[in-house]
Amino acid sequence: MDKLANRLRRDAENIDAKVSDELDRRIRASLHGVTPVSGQQAAVPPARSRGFWWASSLTGIAAAAAVIAIVNSQPEAPPQQATPANVLAAVPKIDWKAESAMMTAQLQQELDALQSDIKKAEKRVKDDIGL
Amino acid sequence: MKTETQLIVAAQGGSADAFADLVQLYRDRLLRFLLTRCASYADAEDALQDTLINAYRYINSYDPRWRFSTWLYRIAIRNAGKLHTADVVELGDLRDEENDPLLQCISDSETENLWISARRLLNDEVFAAMWLRYAEDLSVNDISTALDRSVSWTKVNLMRGRQTLDAAMNGTDNESKAYG
Repeated sequence: MDKLANRLRRDAENIDAKVSDELDRRIRASLHGVTPVSGQQAAVPPARSRGFWWASSLTGIAAAAAVIAIVNSQPEAPPQQATPANVLAAVPKIDWKAESAMMTAQLQQELDALQSDIKKAEKRVKDDIGL
Repeated sequence: MKTETQLIVAAQGGSADAFADLVQLYRDRLLRFLLTRCASYADAEDALQDTLINAYRYINSYDPRWRFSTWLYRIAIRNAGKLHTADVVELGDLRDEENDPLLQCISDSETENLWISARRLLNDEVFAAMWLRYAEDLSVNDISTALDRSVSWTKVNLMRGRQTLDAAMNGTDNESKAYG
C-alpha cells in the first residue's frame, strides 16, 4: 500500500468515535417501534390459483351465452319503413314566423328611426329654403 | 453466534434485536463517517439513528448481491446528503474549530489529520468516495454502487482526489487541480 493510502487509513483510525450506551439504548428503542416494509410483496399482486382462471373463463363464457340466448328469444319485430311521412313526423316543428319576427324586430326599429330622421331632415330643408 | 446472513433473514422477518446485532459491527464506523459530514456530534448521532431506522424499515429491499456495509453506506450517504441540503446555511459556515465534531474526535498529532484537508479540498461525493476506499477498504465497484455512480466516474474521481490530497500532504500547491 502506498504512502498516501497508509496515511489516510491511519488518520481515519485516529478519529475516535464510539456509539455511547445511551445512543445504543435510543437506537434499540426506536428500532422496536419500526416495522419493516414488505418491499416487493406490496408491489406484486398475489398469485392466483389455476382454478381461479378456469372459474373466471367459464363465468365469462356463461355470461356471453346468456346474452345471446336472451337476444335470440325476443320475437322479431317487423322492421320500420322509413316513409316520408314518418320522417316529417320525426322532425320537430319550429315556429318560423315567431323566430323571424324576433330576429328582425331590432332592424325594423332601426329602419323606423332612420325614416323618421329623413322626414325631419326633409322638413328642415324645406323650412330653410322657404318652400 | 449467528452469521450475518442469518441475522439479515431474522431482521427481514421483523426481529429488531437481530437487526441491532447485525449493525453492531458497523455502527462505530458509520458514526465516524457521519462525523465528517455533520455540524455537531449530536447531529451525527441523529443521522446514525435515522440511517439505522431507514435501513431496518427497508431491510426487505436489501439485495444480497451487495455487501451489507455497502448498502448501509448508501443509506448513510443519502441521509447525510439530506442533512446537508436541509441546512439553510452552508455547513462550512456553521463549523468552527471549537465545535467541529471531527476535530474534537481526533487525537493530538504533530501533523494535521489528512481527512480535515480532504473535507476542505474535496466535494462531498469525492470525499465519500475517498473515505469508502481508504478508510473502509471498499472496492471501486462497491463505492460506485454506494454512491450510485458509474465505475469510471468513481475511478476518475478517486484518482483526482488522490492527486489533490497528495499535493496537500507534500505541501505543493496543486489546488487548481482539486476536483469539486
